[in-house]
Amino acid sequence: MLTGERSGGNKTSTSPAENYYLARRRTLQVVVSSLLTECGFESAEKAAVETLTEMMQSYITEVGRCAKANCEHTARSTPTLSDVVITLVEMGFNVDTLQGHAKRSQRMVITAPPVTNAPVIPKSLVTGQKRTHPAYIPSHFPEFPDPHTYIKTPTFREPVSEYQVVREKAASQRRDVERALTRFMAKTGETQSLFKDDLTAFPLIAARPSSIPYLSALLPSELELQTLEETDSSEQDDQTDTENNLNNTIHDDAGADKENAVLPPGGGVPTVKSNEENMIDNPYLRPVKKPKVRRKK
Amino acid sequence: MNRKKDKGFESPRPYKLTHQVVCINNINFQRKSVIGFVELTIFPTVVNLNRIKLNSKQCRIYRVRVNDLEAPFIYNDPTLEVCHHESKQRNLNYFSSAYAAAVSAVDPDAGNGELSIKVPSELWKQGDEMKVLKVYIEFSLDQPKGGLHFVVPDVEGSMAERGAHVFSFGYQNSTRFWFPCVDSYSELCTWKLEFTVDASMVAVSCGDLVETIYTHDMRKKTYHYMLAIPTAAPNISLAVGPFEILVDPYMHEVTHFCLPQLLPLLKHSMSFLHEIFEFYEEILTCRYPYSCFKTVFIDEAYVQVSSYASMSIFSTNLLHSGMIIDQTPLTRRCLAQALAQQFFGCFISRMSWSDEWVLKGISGYIYGLYLKKTFGVNEYRHWIKEELDKIVDYELKTGGVLLHPTFTGGKEKENPTPHLHFSIKHPHTLSWEYYKMFQCKAHLVMRLIENRISMEFMLQVFNKLLSLASTASSQKYQSHMWSQMLLSTSGFLKSISNVSGKDIGPLIKQWVDQSGVVKFFGSFAFNRKRNVLELEIRQDYTSSGTQKYVGPIKVTVQELDGSFNHTLQIEENSLKHDIPCHSKSRRNKKKKIPLMNGEEVDMDLSAMDADSPLLWIRIDPDMSILRKVEFEQADFMWQYQLRYERDVVAQEEAISALEKFPTAASRLALTDILEQDQCFYKVRMQACFCLAKIANAMMSTWTGPPAMKSLFTRMFCCKSCPNIVKTNNFINFQSYFLQKTMPVAMALLRDVHNLCPKEVLNFILDLIKYNDNRKNKFSDNYYRAELIDALTNSLTPAISINNEVRTVDSLNPDVRLILEEITRFLNMEKLLPSYRNTITVSCLRAIRMLQKNGHIPSDPSLFKSYAEYGHFVDVRIAALEAVVDYTRVDRSADEFQWLLDMVQNDPVHYVRHKILSMLAKNPPFTKAAESSLCNEALVDQLWKLMNSGTSHDRRLRCDAVNLYHTLFGLTRPSCLPLPELGLVLNLKEKKAVLNPTIKPEQGSGGPELPPAVVFTSSLEEEHVVMEPPLGGMVLPPQGLKRKAETPLASPPEPGQVLQEEPVVKGGIKSRFPTQEEEDIDMDTVHDSQAFIYHHLSMLDRPSTPGREPPTMEQTIMSMPATPIPLFSKESTLSSKHGGEHHHHHHHHHHHEHKKKKKKHKHKHKHKHKHDSKDKDKEKERDSHTFSNSPASGRSMRSPSLSD
Repeated sequence: MLTGERSGGNKTSTSPAENYYLARRRTLQVVVSSLLTECGFESAEKAAVETLTEMMQSYITEVGRCAKANCEHTARSTPTLSDVVITLVEMGFNVDTLQGHAKRSQRMVITAPPVTNAPVIPKSLVTGQKRTHPAYIPSHFPEFPDPHTYIKTPTFREPVSEYQVVREKAASQRRDVERALTRFMAKTGETQSLFKDDLTAFPLIAARPSSIPYLSALLPSELELQTLEETDSSEQDDQTDTENNLNNTIHDDAGADKENAVLPPGGGVPTVKSNEENMIDNPYLRPVKKPKVRRKK
Repeated sequence: MNRKKDKGFESPRPYKLTHQVVCINNINFQRKSVIGFVELTIFPTVVNLNRIKLNSKQCRIYRVRVNDLEAPFIYNDPTLEVCHHESKQRNLNYFSSAYAAAVSAVDPDAGNGELSIKVPSELWKQGDEMKVLKVYIEFSLDQPKGGLHFVVPDVEGSMAERGAHVFSFGYQNSTRFWFPCVDSYSELCTWKLEFTVDASMVAVSCGDLVETIYTHDMRKKTYHYMLAIPTAAPNISLAVGPFEILVDPYMHEVTHFCLPQLLPLLKHSMSFLHEIFEFYEEILTCRYPYSCFKTVFIDEAYVQVSSYASMSIFSTNLLHSGMIIDQTPLTRRCLAQALAQQFFGCFISRMSWSDEWVLKGISGYIYGLYLKKTFGVNEYRHWIKEELDKIVDYELKTGGVLLHPTFTGGKEKENPTPHLHFSIKHPHTLSWEYYKMFQCKAHLVMRLIENRISMEFMLQVFNKLLSLASTASSQKYQSHMWSQMLLSTSGFLKSISNVSGKDIGPLIKQWVDQSGVVKFFGSFAFNRKRNVLELEIRQDYTSSGTQKYVGPIKVTVQELDGSFNHTLQIEENSLKHDIPCHSKSRRNKKKKIPLMNGEEVDMDLSAMDADSPLLWIRIDPDMSILRKVEFEQADFMWQYQLRYERDVVAQEEAISALEKFPTAASRLALTDILEQDQCFYKVRMQACFCLAKIANAMMSTWTGPPAMKSLFTRMFCCKSCPNIVKTNNFINFQSYFLQKTMPVAMALLRDVHNLCPKEVLNFILDLIKYNDNRKNKFSDNYYRAELIDALTNSLTPAISINNEVRTVDSLNPDVRLILEEITRFLNMEKLLPSYRNTITVSCLRAIRMLQKNGHIPSDPSLFKSYAEYGHFVDVRIAALEAVVDYTRVDRSADEFQWLLDMVQNDPVHYVRHKILSMLAKNPPFTKAAESSLCNEALVDQLWKLMNSGTSHDRRLRCDAVNLYHTLFGLTRPSCLPLPELGLVLNLKEKKAVLNPTIKPEQGSGGPELPPAVVFTSSLEEEHVVMEPPLGGMVLPPQGLKRKAETPLASPPEPGQVLQEEPVVKGGIKSRFPTQEEEDIDMDTVHDSQAFIYHHLSMLDRPSTPGREPPTMEQTIMSMPATPIPLFSKESTLSSKHGGEHHHHHHHHHHHEHKKKKKKHKHKHKHKHKHDSKDKDKEKERDSHTFSNSPASGRSMRSPSLSD
């Protein structure tokens, strides 16, 4: 009964949302059913339970209404216990039995209905000021939409300028990237392990022999080349120079010497700066001679 | 000293070679084979030249023609298998002398050779008229194991696209490996070289490229080279590959070649070569002798640098980009070395092996001058000190390096280097380490000569030698003049005395003709009353590798009033020297103190002894003696020396001395040096390590942060946040090197628990974490590698609880962090490889260290995978080093076997060499300790390796000998069972008893089961096992000629073994060709005789009148019909037996004389017997026969020489 009362009290204070109403109703139903069980019923018809629930609800509502009236009658706004007692007495209820009822042995405890939080209604996004119609637009035209739908709002955060933090971030970021990358490589490929018991701890990407090991060991990696380009542009110029010249050389040779067309590129073709070629007399740059006819050796 | 005054060059050959054509028609990369011919133009210098001996190894010879007439020939190479017949002889003494004998037998400097050509009799007349002979030899090489190296990467594409190449290599005179020639440095001739290669390839060789012509099918082209400057065959080389060509922009006669894709690196690396050229030409006032110069960079190089006439072959790993700091000086040094050898070594060649030191010395010396000019005096002096320390350590360890060995015929018992386990008579028998030290000593001695006669005279001498040679070289048709291009010790000394007028005889005697270094101990006392410094200099000249020094020595004393040099005379019995001091002690406190270089400095003199004006004393400051000085002076004197002496050598000496004085004052002195940027960076680097040692010694009293931490923070970390290192900027190389070194040294610090302090470890981890190279112009790969090394240094042994297996869970948290970093570094390297894979190398070392300290389970499999062929060579070496270490620590027979297999099978010669030398340096066991690894099978395997398995690579063979020496010593390995039957000769008591461990058996001795004799010298506690073959094996029957000299009545010696075995004869047969000229063979016999003589002479203590020193003849048994005396039946050597022995001997003597003419046939018979007997050795012999086959097959068909 106490439980029922509490939920009845709640009724006045909470907002009249539908689910609340249903929840109360369900609780009352449970209360009724448990009372019936206490009285020895094993089953009840739905309609009977419904009726009893309705009666219970009316009764409780009545108690509440009267208590409120009694309280207002004495010029107060909040009902006290005595208001309720008087109401019960007025309604012909023997208040003395109430304690005995509450302490009865076979009493069933009914849990409070789950209190769900009221859904927060999202506030409409307010950015900037809502524009009103300019004078030339009649007022019956629809209003401007919310400003956020058409106003550019820069999402701007104060940059972290502290050196230490920047370095820290850069370092940990790089480390994370490296670790993730190597882990990924290790997971997707063959690995070697330092421990026999746990093959996944400290996985090492398996060593794979290469056919020409000196190339990767000697040539600067792309990353290094990139850094070099960023730091030193003169080197870069030099490189493009070479490429141009290389093309020139091949071109010149092809024009001058038909034989060279037969050669695979990069092999016997001397790769020297063409502008110097005229001055340089180096035997390795001279064209290959054609064999003499029937030269007997 | 048998250097005769100005002896002209006498050729050991009966002819003079004037011109040689080498033509290689076909190089097949797929099959790794080469086909070609040579044609030698020779002038006989004797009438009736009927035999020509040439050098040739592993070449298959198809035909030989002399002036278009087919000529019979014999091919015989005793170095293929040094000790024939499967004897149980396993001691190194025996091997070394047999090997020396074998090398002598084919030594061109003794007029010998593997290939003996009989001049057709039709031409003999012509010989009378001294007409020219043209010897034409067709040959091929199939999968050469030495001489030429093929690199054929296993990828898709044509050979050119794959970067396949081939190049010649070798240790000393090894040209005979790839074409028949007179493989001597003293036989000069002009050359015509022709190489036909694929059209996509380039052939680089010595001399001028005259023309390049296509073949008729246009698929190939022929490179024609002419070398008009007379050159020795060992200075001829070849490199063929799809090279990229770079003409030097400064010198158009110079052309550089590298493998595809490396052109940018080549451009950068070669950009300063012209400076080296200019330098040498300037100091020598002589133009570069050849009309062109070529540098070729190849993979899988045998050595980093090798110089040949007008070209040098380098390892491709010397190439680098502009971002690499550390490699740059190393590459420049290599280039400078190569170029110095062009002048002295290639252009000027040596007269004989004992003159090698002059050429190595001069080229090393002028290389040093280049270092001084380019890298500065500090670097030069540092280098000299380093080299001096190296040679001193080596000589004290092994007993001496002899620069100019003299060998007089027949006196071999006076072995100049008895302390060595190899012969120094030939370059090919030297251990590699010895040879390196030899070169080191040679250039140091040149510097000593310079000290004596001044640099000006020195350079004049060089100029004189060069101009003489170049005059001689231009005498095109006067080949007798060409010997002017050969340099001998006496010629060099004569030039010196002519130019300088000074007598450097004592200097030469001390350092060149004698081995050993000087070991000084110095101490002093200051006598206040007399104001005299009493200096005591003692010498140790009794330990091995030392010699006594008598002569002047310079002592520099820094006093308050200045620095004073004194020259003291070291004499026989004077130890003490009184040196008067110039200054009274501390007169004027405020005065500045003048230094040696004239500089005047303020010093805080509070530390010094108030009674003494001495600041510091240096003995031999100019390093003008090859010496080690241990000098005692007070700690404050060392500290003054470190702070104020301007010579880097003095500073380095002070630093090493201060290690013994862990005091606050030392700490301060070192810290000050560290902070001084004017100080030479290598001194500062050394100071780091000293500081770490001092800090550890001062552990309990150390105050403040760990050593060097605040210094490093101040120098390299951000001002605002001291825990973060600045982003890398290596523009200042000195601070770069310091930045690299300091963490490595700091990691050596230890706390009271003998652990690396947490603070230091975190500091290093932070350095790794915050390392940022994005804004750097240079690569940081070496820096990162050193940070890993620092982590490695911080490791200490794990606390092990009853040897539990190491698991991930039991990992120490600090170690976990370290392992985390190493794993990440090693994995990143796979994605972004660093230059020369320095990071992988450091990681592998770190992992091995973790294993060794018990943090992670010890396991060689990771290293084994990195050691495989196909990884970068530095990585392989690092991994192999770890496996070698594992083998020692875990005594693993499997890994040891794996390593030895790799020595036999790896394609890269350098790797094979490194494995053996690392094993010798870090041996799995030594002769001193028992080991389960040491067993008979291993002895056999190693024996086989050095006996026959390494005949194609002399360096490797000497490495194997070294390893054998380290593992088993000079004598029979102790793990071998005693021979089944044997006599033990007790040298002390001079009697022989039957090996007591063996029960006497009845008559089991037979030809197959030879009795063995064991010599036991209780004095030396060594077992010399002499088996029957010893007597006969190295002795050809010719030795019997001398028998007549032997008194018939001489009783036999205990060591004599009366044994004749067909096996023995077979062995002789294949090693020494039957020849009429016995004198030549006798040369080789000498060695073996000497050897046996040496052994027998151990018995040579005639106490009874009847006993005479054993002679060779007595031990020779060469009659198969002689019944085998059954030693096993004898318990002692009875006189009766001796008589019996003599009887056989006598009998044999006559027999042999009679049979002489039938010798050839006779031997064949033996050979057959021999073959049928040794079935299990058939396989091994097969490979041997293979290389022999063309020749031997030929000799069967062609007219026999002994007909």
